[in-house]
Amino acid sequence: MDLATTRDSPLMRLILDPVNILLMILLGILFYLVLWPFLELVLHTITWGDGDRRLSRDAVPGEYTWFHWLQVTASPLSERMLYAPLVNTMITGVISTVIALIVGGGLAWCVIRSDMPGKGWLQPILTLPYIVPSFAIALAWETVFRSPKVGGQPGLYETVLGVAPPEWVSYGTFPISITLAMHYFPFAYLLVAGALATIDSQMEEGALLSGASRMMILRRITFPVVAPAFAAAFVLTFGKTIGQFALPFLLGAPTQFHTIATMVYANLALGLDSMAYVLAILLILMSLLAIWASNKFVGNNARRFETISGKGFRSRQVALGGWRWPIFWSVAMFGFVVGILPLILLGYQSLMLIDGFFNLSNLTMHFWTGQSDPEIAMGEPGVLYNANILGATWNTIELAFFSAVIASLIGLIIAYIVVRKDGNPLAKMLDQIAFIPFLFPTIAFGAMYLTMFAEPRGPIPALYGTFTLLVLISVVNRLPYSVKTGVTAVTQIGRELEEAAEVAGASWGRRFRKIIVPLASSGVVTGMMVSFVGVMRELSLIILLITPSTRVLMTVGFNYAEEGLTQLSNALVLIVAMLTIAGELILWWAGKSKLVRLREKHS
Amino acid sequence: MMASIEIENLTKRYGAMTALDNVSLKIESGEFLVLLGPSGCGKTTLLRCLAGLETPDEGEIYMDGELVFSSKLNRIVPPGKRNLGMVFQSYALWPHMTVRDNVKFGLDVLNLSESDSKDRLDQVLKDLGMSDLQNRYPSELSGGQQQRVALARLLATKPPVFLMDEPLSNLDARLRMDMRVELKKFQASTGSTTVYVTHDQTEAMTMSTRVVVMRGGQIQQVSPPSQLYKRPENTFVADFIGMPRINLIQVNQSDGKNRLYSNGDIDIDIGWDEAPSSIVVGARPEDLKISKKKLEHSPTCEVSSVLPNGPETIIQLTKGKTILLARIGHEIDVHEGEKVTVQFDQKALNVYDAKSGALLGPPIDADRTN
Repeated sequence: MDLATTRDSPLMRLILDPVNILLMILLGILFYLVLWPFLELVLHTITWGDGDRRLSRDAVPGEYTWFHWLQVTASPLSERMLYAPLVNTMITGVISTVIALIVGGGLAWCVIRSDMPGKGWLQPILTLPYIVPSFAIALAWETVFRSPKVGGQPGLYETVLGVAPPEWVSYGTFPISITLAMHYFPFAYLLVAGALATIDSQMEEGALLSGASRMMILRRITFPVVAPAFAAAFVLTFGKTIGQFALPFLLGAPTQFHTIATMVYANLALGLDSMAYVLAILLILMSLLAIWASNKFVGNNARRFETISGKGFRSRQVALGGWRWPIFWSVAMFGFVVGILPLILLGYQSLMLIDGFFNLSNLTMHFWTGQSDPEIAMGEPGVLYNANILGATWNTIELAFFSAVIASLIGLIIAYIVVRKDGNPLAKMLDQIAFIPFLFPTIAFGAMYLTMFAEPRGPIPALYGTFTLLVLISVVNRLPYSVKTGVTAVTQIGRELEEAAEVAGASWGRRFRKIIVPLASSGVVTGMMVSFVGVMRELSLIILLITPSTRVLMTVGFNYAEEGLTQLSNALVLIVAMLTIAGELILWWAGKSKLVRLREKHS
Repeated sequence: MMASIEIENLTKRYGAMTALDNVSLKIESGEFLVLLGPSGCGKTTLLRCLAGLETPDEGEIYMDGELVFSSKLNRIVPPGKRNLGMVFQSYALWPHMTVRDNVKFGLDVLNLSESDSKDRLDQVLKDLGMSDLQNRYPSELSGGQQQRVALARLLATKPPVFLMDEPLSNLDARLRMDMRVELKKFQASTGSTTVYVTHDQTEAMTMSTRVVVMRGGQIQQVSPPSQLYKRPENTFVADFIGMPRINLIQVNQSDGKNRLYSNGDIDIDIGWDEAPSSIVVGARPEDLKISKKKLEHSPTCEVSSVLPNGPETIIQLTKGKTILLARIGHEIDVHEGEKVTVQFDQKALNVYDAKSGALLGPPIDADRTN
């Protein structure tokens, strides 16, 4: 017990406390990786750049100017650059979100609250569209509804019916809204299902006893209780749709139909960086506005609607009676059409030697296993023999692995600080900054990192074009999720477990390694797997930062699609889809076995 | 393996709330000291300050003569260096470690040699009868077995000070009784200074060498358990200790007659010359004598409720607005609605100042009158 008095003084203890040191370091890092890039983005838009001389004679590189903002918002270009895409973004966003909510909410009710048969295997099928990359669905749509009027080969629709589909079915608002809804309804489904699962059916039984009809119960009891979840689901889904890039690009760009997200990309492709960044900022503002609105609405009402799940909680299922099987078949059909059919179409399409000819003699394995042939697909070899693609596969797995592991570990440490330093304003700030990336539409986030890391800054080299930058942005993008997973895990670890080790004299490092990490591991590993799958299918986030040496499967697939090499792009997207489905299966299996183990222990 | 603990003027605040208010206490080496009080009284905070898990705002703590905390000297010795062991209310067993690994953790921190560590582990597990269960996980053990693992973990590092935070509150009533006996033996055999927090007064009375009653962050009384029951030093302690609760009767001096006090229903002669005009008389239920005969100077009350409870019966007596509880044996049989005469055992009564609630003394000085 002989210790120097200085080491035992409260101030020194505060400074030497490893948790405080970590808190300060993480605050610094997150400030640099989250807030600063946003400032850079804003600054970039109000400064004359080197390339601006060809846009305006007044350009003085380095000086401040409103030129870019005025160009975007109040110039002859504004209509095409901002207002039309803005309207498109809003319309496709709202339509797709509404459809996703209705479909997702209805399915959630069927699965959670009704006695519909076959739930066990319908549920994974219904989440498939969200598991596969979003533009798989866009590619599948194209396979069916492609219109030769715009160019390229006819789709399945025309081959079967002999007439070309109307253009509004092939490109623009309609297909974008539908495919976005198809991709995001499982997301809405999961959010609403979570809320429905917490409803105590005694509430409904109470209404039943007072003589209310089933419809009335649904309308007057069930729906109002899940309304806040619906509102939250609306905002979250909407926020995700407006940041979507690849899907609207594939189904809109051929007819010059643009959303803000595709406009960011198009402007960058034209070298109009500052315009692109102005649009990115506007996209971020839209997202912030949506979140703010939801907080204003849900935040004030959430407490009132909070259902208490304490003792006497019961969840009774509603009998569908004669509707049982018709509903089952409709849901199963729907699941097949949105979950499995697109993958079959992609698979079939990747086997066609000449795109658009749907007869058996046209089938080939060339795009999978063929060697380079100058006659076919500009000499690109089949995906399984393509050195580029093998490299991209390796990059994809590496990127997903490193990002998932690093994000989970940092997420756990942040979560630990947030939970254990509850009430400390700096810890609260850390929590909030770690959440901010959630508010950035992914393509705008990519734009930020493009401005931030294009050139060296102080001790940090120009990271543009490096693999490190991809890991960095993926990690920061996953942080909101990994912190949340971490908080759930750490909250479940009683403080006393750690104090017992503290009394035994274990240092903080030892406690974190021996107590916190092992106990949080099951939750964190699950989160890691979710991140792994999420990073693998991510495109919008990194599309602006990819260079040939750092390509990943999704960007290679996207480039093939851009070049019209649909079979190759379909084959690639299918590979990513299989990888993500495999990941989800592992997760599902792990979760199931864990449940079994827990149950065994309780009995 | 012995250590005394000295606490001087300890204060701990949480915002506007004062959890510990200028607490001073000296704990002798080898003592079994119980901190008792209602929830929120500061007993757990005091224990956690001793452990070093909370940092007090003011005051000093000495352990075994060594200064481990001082607000003036800016000295805080971290928990791991205070040479103590703690049993938590939840036991805080690490669920991902086997029984053996749980006990071994503290030894690993001490960097003991592998053979020393193994010997000590085997011994401790054997002493507590856990040898057969050492490879199980905490979730595979019963409540009593988990409790034993927590004790084994405490014992393994042989600390001179044991801190226990309501260690028996998660056990069922019967097991709690058995564990009380075991804990008491266990403490006596190791001779460690033990500070034990509980809100259960039976636990406090049966196990302690001294009890500290706390309320609102302040110490109300420090006494051996028997004295705590017989001579509570204020009305709070009197009211808090004892089940069923003590009868506290507020009475005022009757006109002219110094020694006679009354509340309108009951008259009491405390036999004192100099006492405040308003006092509270404390009488334990067993200090009330019931008889069916009429006696002079003794109030007649109506039996308003009879609650038989095995070896004894609790009866509620009413006279006017005054309600009294009495504990009687089987020698007298009373029924609801009956009128009985009540006599107080003068020697057992305690008299408190009605204003401050402080003990003035027994009514009749035993040496002087008898």
